[in-house]
Amino acid sequence: MRVVALVLPISALAVTLAIASAPRTVNGRYQRGEPTGTDAVTFNRDIAPIVFRYCAPCHRPGEAAPFSLLTYADTAKFADQIAYITEKRIMPPWLPAPDEQKFSGELHLTDAQIHLFRQWAKQGAPEGDRGDLPPTPEFTPGWQLGKPDAILHAQKPYSLPPQGTDNYWNFIFRTNFPATRWVRAIEIRPGEKRVVHHANLLVDRLHSSRSQEKHSGEGFAGMELRIESDTFDPDSHFFFWKPGSVPHMEPADMALRLDPGDDLVLNVHLQPSGKPESIEPTIGLYFTGQSASKFPFLLELQNDKVLNIPPDATNFEVNDDFTLPTEVQLLAIYPHAHYLGRDLLASATYPDGTTKNLIHIPRWDLNWQAVFYYEDEVILPAGTHISMHYIYDNSAANIANPFHPPQRVKGGNRTTDEMAHLWLQVLPHGTTTAPEQARLLLQESIARHDVTRDPEDFAAQYNLGAMLQSKGDSTEALRHFQAAVRLRPTEPVANNALGAVLIAVGNPQEAVAPLLRAIRTRPGYPPAHYNLGNAYASMRKFDEAIRHFSEVTRLSPTDSMAEANLGAALAETGNLTEARRHLERALRLDPQNTLAAENLVEVKRRLASSQSR
Amino acid sequence: MVAVLFVAICLPVVLLVATPPQTAPNHVFDLQGHAVDPFHTAPGKIVVFLFIRTDCPISNRYAPTIQELSAHYSRHAAFFLVYPIASETPEQIRKHLEEYRYRLPVLRDPELKLARESQVRVTPEAAVFSPDRKLLYHGRVDDWYVEFARARRAPTTHDLASAIDSALSEKSSSPTSAPAIGCFIPGLT
Repeated sequence: MRVVALVLPISALAVTLAIASAPRTVNGRYQRGEPTGTDAVTFNRDIAPIVFRYCAPCHRPGEAAPFSLLTYADTAKFADQIAYITEKRIMPPWLPAPDEQKFSGELHLTDAQIHLFRQWAKQGAPEGDRGDLPPTPEFTPGWQLGKPDAILHAQKPYSLPPQGTDNYWNFIFRTNFPATRWVRAIEIRPGEKRVVHHANLLVDRLHSSRSQEKHSGEGFAGMELRIESDTFDPDSHFFFWKPGSVPHMEPADMALRLDPGDDLVLNVHLQPSGKPESIEPTIGLYFTGQSASKFPFLLELQNDKVLNIPPDATNFEVNDDFTLPTEVQLLAIYPHAHYLGRDLLASATYPDGTTKNLIHIPRWDLNWQAVFYYEDEVILPAGTHISMHYIYDNSAANIANPFHPPQRVKGGNRTTDEMAHLWLQVLPHGTTTAPEQARLLLQESIARHDVTRDPEDFAAQYNLGAMLQSKGDSTEALRHFQAAVRLRPTEPVANNALGAVLIAVGNPQEAVAPLLRAIRTRPGYPPAHYNLGNAYASMRKFDEAIRHFSEVTRLSPTDSMAEANLGAALAETGNLTEARRHLERALRLDPQNTLAAENLVEVKRRLASSQSR
Repeated sequence: MVAVLFVAICLPVVLLVATPPQTAPNHVFDLQGHAVDPFHTAPGKIVVFLFIRTDCPISNRYAPTIQELSAHYSRHAAFFLVYPIASETPEQIRKHLEEYRYRLPVLRDPELKLARESQVRVTPEAAVFSPDRKLLYHGRVDDWYVEFARARRAPTTHDLASAIDSALSEKSSSPTSAPAIGCFIPGLT
């Protein structure tokens, strides 16, 4: 039975992996405290250590920032501007307020550091004693993690127009590794860094994004991605690029599984620069020989349903809450809203009643969104209550407002729609159960949470159905797939799942209609043909079954199970020679296919007995 | 439309009152290094300076807007791009013009004399002069940017175009300014 899980909308997931390793060459002893009024502030002693640590990762040749800040001469030119933008906390870009929880690669300047910039500019930006100058930071040229094990190029560059609003483009990287690879890191080279605001990579195992390309290989527009998946851990890793970032390397036992033929979809946020730009990303993959034994999970809180923000509302609140059924380690967090988001808060209330902020972004700015990795181990025990509390500003005073004058804005995936999402990358610990059990418990809890929050949420109904189906509860799964199909009557993935579960509960007759609907909406959809083959075979309509299994083998020539079932159906019609051919092919494709092996033995026996007669 | 008609009618008057520059010519240069007086090259026209630099992302993002505005007002206003950063070489500037598809006359202002006369502080910033070299406006092109790295989806005011319209209709008498957001011009602040 093939059920396809649908996880949507996984969106512009971002990560701050970044800058984590920036402080490599910074020497802390140069940092001074609050300067006294009589002290001369010099570049070499006071300014360079801050600039090298916080600015130079981006402000250097070839990087995203418009000018370099690696030397006295470079920096002195901008002394006034640096004082101004640091005082306004525009630079360095860092959204979270300083809090109890520390994040990797924090770029938060202290008030004392900002004061130094102002003093320095006021004093005419003196250079100071050469002996005070810390070594110029050394940055790794080219690939930050060394030569990748595999390098993939975008099939076709995207032409960014010189003018216009923010632009979102998606590139599909088609992989063709001969066997499963375990990926510890993916380094994203987004193309012209000065126009790329962030880039985010998702795994698309079912090629569900390909249908959005008008011409194969050219990519497609869109701010948010909708990825279908046949497992529940499709995107448990963040692969993210933002200016100045260095790729995040997962522990070897937590690598991502990349199966042969999986697509990688890169979502890129671009800002026109004033001249035409050609955007041609490249990605580098770093493998490990070790298969994963730890499986992080993306816990998603969201409440797009209540997003219905009247014009001029300055304080529109959106909440979602979830209680953890099991202990987890919180690895990273990614808050996401669009242009009306103002104040984004995620907090945890522990079983003992104490509450901590997991992240607080008091001045949300979509342009600097990121995934934030926790510096220290954060354990959230079972029973911890996680809250998402977002505030939106739909007034004209919010300069990011996409509408002028303000208009009513609802939830959705377009740039002019709004979103209220919070992703937490967690590692289920399971103190009383095995981690795998803890993980399933967590998955089911969040799926039930989603359905309870919004029974009209198609994805929630679908995902809970798929979850229940995978643990063998077909009867309850059926109810949720039926709800999903009621909400989206022609949705091919849900219709296919409904068909599959109807076969599982012993009702192949009723399965045919939804499966045919799936194929009508998405011609050439292999899982629906496969399930139709099964439905007809269960009804002993073998000619129909053969037609659909054949279609699967044509569409997916490496599908061993489809070959095996085609062989079995052919055998049922008495076409033993053809049956043997397909069963043999099934075994060539997958020598472990026991069904094919058993059927082949039977077919050979029948062939031998018919020849002997 | 009304403004344009009105301009067409009063233009001859403007031509009549055009006088030679009353102040000593400031030292601005063309890309060959020759000192030039922009007011001599376009007698009788409103003169608009756009201060830009090669490495300022905000001024670069304005390139298409600047080009469109200059085309729109080409009959009545002479536009000049002014590069005030002394260290930007003519070679860098030529490359920049080509990349951003500028088709406007170019001045270098390494001594910041024209920048001071125009009372600008940042790039991009505009200055509008009457044909007799009176400063009528200096400031932003529009309100697209409200802060560094904080831009609206689209501008809601068009300050430079309004200033030119006023200048053409001879309404304005004292320099008006809407503060520009952009990269500070070193040596002016």
